[in-house]
Amino acid sequence: MERSEIQNRVKSVIASVLEIDESTIGDDTNFIFDLGADSMQSLELVAAFEEEFDVEMDEDKALEVQTVSDAVGFIGTYLD
Amino acid sequence: MGVQEGLQQIFHPESIAVVGTNRKKGTVPHDIFANLLQDNFQGVLYPVSPGEHAISGVKAYKYIVDIEDPVDLAVIVFPSSVMHLAMKQLGEKGVKSAIIISAGFREVGEKGKEREEQIKEIAAEHDIHFIGPNCLGVINTGPAVHMNASFARKMPEEGNIAFLSQSGALCTAVLDYARSKHIGFSKFISFGNKADINEIDLLRYLKDDPKTDVILIYLEEISDGRALMDVAQEIISETGKPILTIKAGRTEEGATAAASHTGSLAGSDEVCDAALRQAGIIRCTTIEEMFNKAIALAYQPIPSKNRVAIITNAGGPGVLAADAAVREDLELASFNDETTEIFKKHLPSTANIKNPVDVIGDARADRYRVAVSTTMKDDNVDGTLVILTPQSMTDIEAIAEAVVEVGSHESKPLYASFMGEADVATGIDILQRHKIPHYILPESMCSAFTSAYQFHNIRQRDTNTIPKFADADTKQVSNLLEEAQTECLTHLPEMYATPVLKAYGFPTLPGGIATSAEDAVKMAQEVGYPVVMKIMSKDIVHKIDIGGIVLNVISEDEVHRAYQYILKNAHKSSPDAEIDGIYVQKMVTGGEEVILGIKRDPSFGPVVMFGLGGTYVEVFHDVSFRVAPFGPGTADAMIHETTAYNLLSGIRGKSPRDVSALSDALQRLAQLAVDFPMIQELDINPFIVLDDGEGGFAADARIMLSKQE
Repeated sequence: MERSEIQNRVKSVIASVLEIDESTIGDDTNFIFDLGADSMQSLELVAAFEEEFDVEMDEDKALEVQTVSDAVGFIGTYLD
Repeated sequence: MGVQEGLQQIFHPESIAVVGTNRKKGTVPHDIFANLLQDNFQGVLYPVSPGEHAISGVKAYKYIVDIEDPVDLAVIVFPSSVMHLAMKQLGEKGVKSAIIISAGFREVGEKGKEREEQIKEIAAEHDIHFIGPNCLGVINTGPAVHMNASFARKMPEEGNIAFLSQSGALCTAVLDYARSKHIGFSKFISFGNKADINEIDLLRYLKDDPKTDVILIYLEEISDGRALMDVAQEIISETGKPILTIKAGRTEEGATAAASHTGSLAGSDEVCDAALRQAGIIRCTTIEEMFNKAIALAYQPIPSKNRVAIITNAGGPGVLAADAAVREDLELASFNDETTEIFKKHLPSTANIKNPVDVIGDARADRYRVAVSTTMKDDNVDGTLVILTPQSMTDIEAIAEAVVEVGSHESKPLYASFMGEADVATGIDILQRHKIPHYILPESMCSAFTSAYQFHNIRQRDTNTIPKFADADTKQVSNLLEEAQTECLTHLPEMYATPVLKAYGFPTLPGGIATSAEDAVKMAQEVGYPVVMKIMSKDIVHKIDIGGIVLNVISEDEVHRAYQYILKNAHKSSPDAEIDGIYVQKMVTGGEEVILGIKRDPSFGPVVMFGLGGTYVEVFHDVSFRVAPFGPGTADAMIHETTAYNLLSGIRGKSPRDVSALSDALQRLAQLAVDFPMIQELDINPFIVLDDGEGGFAADARIMLSKQE
């Protein structure tokens, strides 16, 4: 899958889970610091990424991912 | 901005941004903001909450840099993973003070430690001073600020006690306990991991805080013991504010102490205990004990003497209180004639008008009023302790009010113990609201009075006079120790240690090393019989354990036999030991054997030890410690607090020993410990104290040096 496609789908998932406008999400946007995601929402994001990309991620490592670009890279490792 | 300026801004901000707050009630990020708002913070509040437009009706900002006006203090509740981003924005915004509430730093392991280091670096770069992380927060009850920047459930009452704690959870328990007893606080600070601002900075701030009269501190670790002692002594001597502490946690050093005498006798907690006492800090073991003593010190005048009057409406509790008073080193005051006359006139004939005064079970407020006010005016009384038991005719509230009223006119301490619980509750409430220290048990009341009286003595003592012995030959000792280090020696036996002590003015006994029995005879004749003969080897630490010492050798024949006996024992027990010879030393008969020593504590530095000497030292553990350097007052105190002092002061017809020579030796040892950090341990065992006026001798000694790097 192309990186740009992963990126678009990641942003779409984030916008849906955090109920925000997708256009406000940049590549370096931090889920917690910039979007105000709390610990529950972080778990929801991991679950939503797994569903969106049909992968099963290491939860501890997934929770360390905090930005869009990091998420794209991390999900990419499961799709290779 | 200096730390103290940073603290001033932390306690007196005109504006606060709560960074990372949210709308979810019952979470720390939400409750911190809600507490500031609901507890009526007097400045301006800014919630910083990405994704929210308002928190509790207050306009929210996405970032702290979006706030147009200046921000004095940031309270940060973001998770630790993004703390570095928040701190960078603080720097960008120009915020110089912060409280970092969030956990997930040093306390959770390596990753957390890295995060803590990262935020420390950012703070240093932007000149930000902060409390925390991993803390409950900070409260300032002063009406001009009224800041509850914490997630404690309720704001405490205003008071003159400051409470500092390394543990956040303990803070909430303390607040709850204090609220039930109407104990108010000036400042309430949970300082958590103390990554930037530590207890020393906070104590220094509270020294000059006009709202604080008593300081309480809960500590789990003391990172700089010497600094703590210095700031405590500064506070007590300059402002007279008492400091009470609960120091929890015992380090492993105590358990794995070195095999040497001083090392094994000085567990870290014992040293800590001694050091806190030396600094004038009152160490308590429970929260209850700490507050029992704190309210006595915070609410009432500090007694200058220990003569108390006890007033009771029941004989039994009066006797209990009298027993407790005597146990606690208080004196039952002998009333003057005027007091006795007033009692005869105003108390019933069945009353006991001697101390403890029993106003009898049917006493109402009028009798209590007479008894309390009269004893408070008596020149022979330094404080009054009021006991009440609830009987059917006892007007508890009226008696409480009478006690409060009399107390408000007097300048002597007045404490009360209304015994019981349900029936006396309203009376206790009146006492507590009006700052009459109240105790459930008379025993606790007496203990608190003693503590206040002891604090009076702490304030009077001189800790500044520390002598510098001019006859101590620093250069010679330096040469001796450097020579030993050059030879890679770390354990210096007596033949090396004695010259060191001699150079520092310690009286030592004449003697020398013999390498043959004939030599030994010659030396014994030179120093005069009787002599002591000891094995000399850097490989044999405890000579007595291997039969390496023979005492009271009185003839040429005995010298020959002792020489062979010691060598045989040494070869048998330590076949590979390198033997330098046999030390032949003049033997002193009579005198009392004590042990003196030096050790290094990782937190407090050089520590001097004193105790009962000889082979009993490890059995009775009768030892005292002080942090070096110190003067005569401290040396005398460390001698007096041991049981050995009873032996030295002369018992059962024995002459008193030369305690001043011992005090002098302890002070010299303290100077040696400070002057030569390379001395890791030193034992003088025994130091023989002769009769008063005759001095003493260091009869045996050994030194452990630090390894040269």
